[in-house]
Amino acid sequence: MRRTTTADRTDGCGCPGHDSGAGPSGRGFSRRSFLKRGAAVAAATSLTGTQLATQLAFASSPAYAGDTVVVLSFRGGFDGLSVVVPRGDANFAALRPNIRVPDAALLSTGDSRFGLHPGLAPLLPFWQAGTFGAVHAVGQDNPSRSHFEAMEEMERAAPGSSLRTGWIDRLLTTRGQGTSFQGCQVGSTSVSSAFIGPSPELGMYRIDDFNLSGSSSSTDLAAWDAALRGLNTGAPTVVGDPVATTLGALAQTGALTDAGYTEANGAVYDTNSDLAMSLRDVARLIKANIGLQMAAVDYGDWDMHSGLAVGTLDPSQGWMFDKMTELAGALAAFYTDLGPTLMAKTTLITLSEFGRRVEENGSHGVDHGHGNAVLLMGGGIVGGQVHGVWPGLSDSALNDGDLDVRTDYRNLLGEILVKRCGAGSVGSVFPGLTYTPIGIAHP
Amino acid sequence: MSYHSSSHSSNNLHLAHRLSYGPSPSLVAELNAAGPGTWIEQQLNPAVVDDRVCDAYLARYPRLKWTIPQVRAAYAAGGGWEMMEMLGSAHLLRAAWSKRQLFEVMVDFWSNHLNVSLNNGDVWDNRHDYDRNVIRKYTFGKYSDLLWASVNHPAMMRYLNNADSTKDSPNENYGRELLELHTVGVDGGYNEVDMHTSALVLTGFGVHDVWRPANQVQDPKNGLFEYFPDDHWTGPVTVMGWSSPNATGVGGYAVAQSYVSYLAHHPATALRLATKLVRRFVSDDPVPVLANYLAQIYLANDTAILPVLRALFASRQFRSTTTMKVKRPMEDLVSSLRALSILPDPGTGTDGLLALWWESDTLGHQPMTWAQPDGFPDVATSWQSTNGTLERWNLHMALAGQWWPVSNDPKNPMLQAPLRNTYLPSPLPATHGALIDALAQRVLFQPVSATGRDAVCTFLGKTAASPLKATDPAVTYRLAYVIALLLDSVHHAMR
Repeated sequence: MRRTTTADRTDGCGCPGHDSGAGPSGRGFSRRSFLKRGAAVAAATSLTGTQLATQLAFASSPAYAGDTVVVLSFRGGFDGLSVVVPRGDANFAALRPNIRVPDAALLSTGDSRFGLHPGLAPLLPFWQAGTFGAVHAVGQDNPSRSHFEAMEEMERAAPGSSLRTGWIDRLLTTRGQGTSFQGCQVGSTSVSSAFIGPSPELGMYRIDDFNLSGSSSSTDLAAWDAALRGLNTGAPTVVGDPVATTLGALAQTGALTDAGYTEANGAVYDTNSDLAMSLRDVARLIKANIGLQMAAVDYGDWDMHSGLAVGTLDPSQGWMFDKMTELAGALAAFYTDLGPTLMAKTTLITLSEFGRRVEENGSHGVDHGHGNAVLLMGGGIVGGQVHGVWPGLSDSALNDGDLDVRTDYRNLLGEILVKRCGAGSVGSVFPGLTYTPIGIAHP
Repeated sequence: MSYHSSSHSSNNLHLAHRLSYGPSPSLVAELNAAGPGTWIEQQLNPAVVDDRVCDAYLARYPRLKWTIPQVRAAYAAGGGWEMMEMLGSAHLLRAAWSKRQLFEVMVDFWSNHLNVSLNNGDVWDNRHDYDRNVIRKYTFGKYSDLLWASVNHPAMMRYLNNADSTKDSPNENYGRELLELHTVGVDGGYNEVDMHTSALVLTGFGVHDVWRPANQVQDPKNGLFEYFPDDHWTGPVTVMGWSSPNATGVGGYAVAQSYVSYLAHHPATALRLATKLVRRFVSDDPVPVLANYLAQIYLANDTAILPVLRALFASRQFRSTTTMKVKRPMEDLVSSLRALSILPDPGTGTDGLLALWWESDTLGHQPMTWAQPDGFPDVATSWQSTNGTLERWNLHMALAGQWWPVSNDPKNPMLQAPLRNTYLPSPLPATHGALIDALAQRVLFQPVSATGRDAVCTFLGKTAASPLKATDPAVTYRLAYVIALLLDSVHHAMR
């Protein structure tokens, strides 16, 4: 028989590892920002006294007092149905005869419709405390099942418009210039396309690795700084901006590395887990109070076309089990390390470009789908429940064989921005969205 | 603005930037001697370019010539990841030291376009064969042949799960990517039904894999491509403008061949490939008129690539472009090696070459390891990152300082660098400013800006007019920093 064994994972249209977080092939765009430091000052000099004062007031950003938001991107098509499992849906068992989590193994959510994958056991206390929750049947309007198209659209978050920027860039633009750490990709060399746009952002693999060879002291660094700026004078923005941001960040990370770090509250991060170590650095940046507002962390390798589970009705091993174990350990360590005060000001949300088909395929896996589950963590979220409208899995309820989408993911992000981050409106971040919060966050 | 190619004193530098992995003293000499027209024609006809030096380096990796069964037999007990390291090292070796530069640039281009991730465990035994018998064999051939060869290769069948796709349980991955990435593209005119049909047409294309117990001799055809008629979905099929009765499993192979040929010759494919080539060689914002023109050449020449390239390099847009492209990290790495005249390990060593492979990983641009089938992006906006900037600066310092992965220590040799004083002009100029100008010409092949020159002098505690002596730090223990700084300039970041 020619069928191959798929004990190992095929991630053919798989997700990037830690070094390739940027998804799309990119499109050119022109980078113009009226809030650029130089431009703002130049424009101001031609105005009258009163107008000048107003312009300068706009140009300087008020101190940001909202939550730090951590966007955890599950690249590759996260199978939410394996994690927030519709135990109460009569159609589910027939569609996933082999790879579903059997009812007896599920963790209780307190909602008879859903159970959680047993790999999430370390997060159960957070669920019960109301600081870990989920939303189901979430997604984008456009039912694309192409990674690249779906990911680009998700991070552009402006369907029906010709905007080429990412939603995090537009968000940071509304807030005005912050510190070098205002928007940060952590654990990856290249930044998510949600950052595409004029607002500068930082990308680093690890804080402690972020230093300049050849420079061994802060006096040294100052001399290098001046030389590097001189050698990049007049560079096009796409080269010059990262130069400036890098130099500012080097000064900061140098100080953090010198200070060292001890986890709080007995938190233990798995040093073999890129995800855990990335979140550890996010915690360090938060505690350093250097202006981190939006953190992006990539956690890929979800494209389970095969090998999602091993054997039949056995969630205790296999690809999904390994991911859940790593994820739960990392999130539990992160929030334990932050402690209750900082946890109350740190909101984490998981996003993925689409869910996966309800019906399993011939390889113990599932192909690309549509609707998905979103996970939420933090002191400000309404945890301990599965939010959203559950359309069910009957034939008529499915969207071309997939879980339907009943909540636009932009409404979840918008609600976090409004209720947790002090945003007045989200119209410029998510143009065209009729903002409709569903109650996932406390004001 | 200073960073447009029109400020270059010679068209030859523009050619070196676009058609090679970067200028080196020997490349500049060759270009000047041959003249641009002749040089381009030589590069389009690599058989006339003597590459024995690089071939000798490649002899360090004899296993890359092995067949798939040979590799499977040799690594039956494990360790097959060595093949990945060897292929990756060889790819960078060729980029840095082959004289058939344009060929290597295009090998990288096709490796991205028909991406099969090297570091994927499912292709451990066959990715080297895909590189040799699909990519490199057809890089300067016809796209229809290149594409069909990829359809018939176990690496692609595994990477995109087609080896698991059967009529009873089709896997849509490859059927989708064939349309979306390899040919017509998302706007090519297909819908979700077409995508599903595409997957059905390709059922049966898979990999021979007959299980025998470990204590028996393994099936010698395991790991090779095979077409399985019994797994092929039959029935009428239509995808966009192509259709077939597709009546039998046995006939399914020819049906798929007809389908793939249709896609290779589709105008949307032509335009998409042409656009990608314009993006690679001209600008991040491809000019539609040039792409349309090249697409016509592609179709008129039955998908042959050389006529398209020839027309591209002869075009007004290519020759007079004033927009520079930003080097992607691997391009910065390779161009830095070439600029500094760094060479591989002495003898038959491979440690330095392997270190290059891991360095490209640190830079975030390790060839053939982009996980998604669309390959590494080719626009500057996708690459700008602070970590990327810092890693490049640190790389320049390591190469200029002759630290890892360079080592001239005879007990532990790695990449070989020339004595640093050979970068210096001879005789030494009278001032620090003139020294920086001369070093810029040597490592950047162009002048550095006056601001940049003055900034380096300040870094040295001097001014441009300060007199220069042979014992000054600028030409002794701080020379490495000067070279690193010049490589950190915007001049080296662009091509």
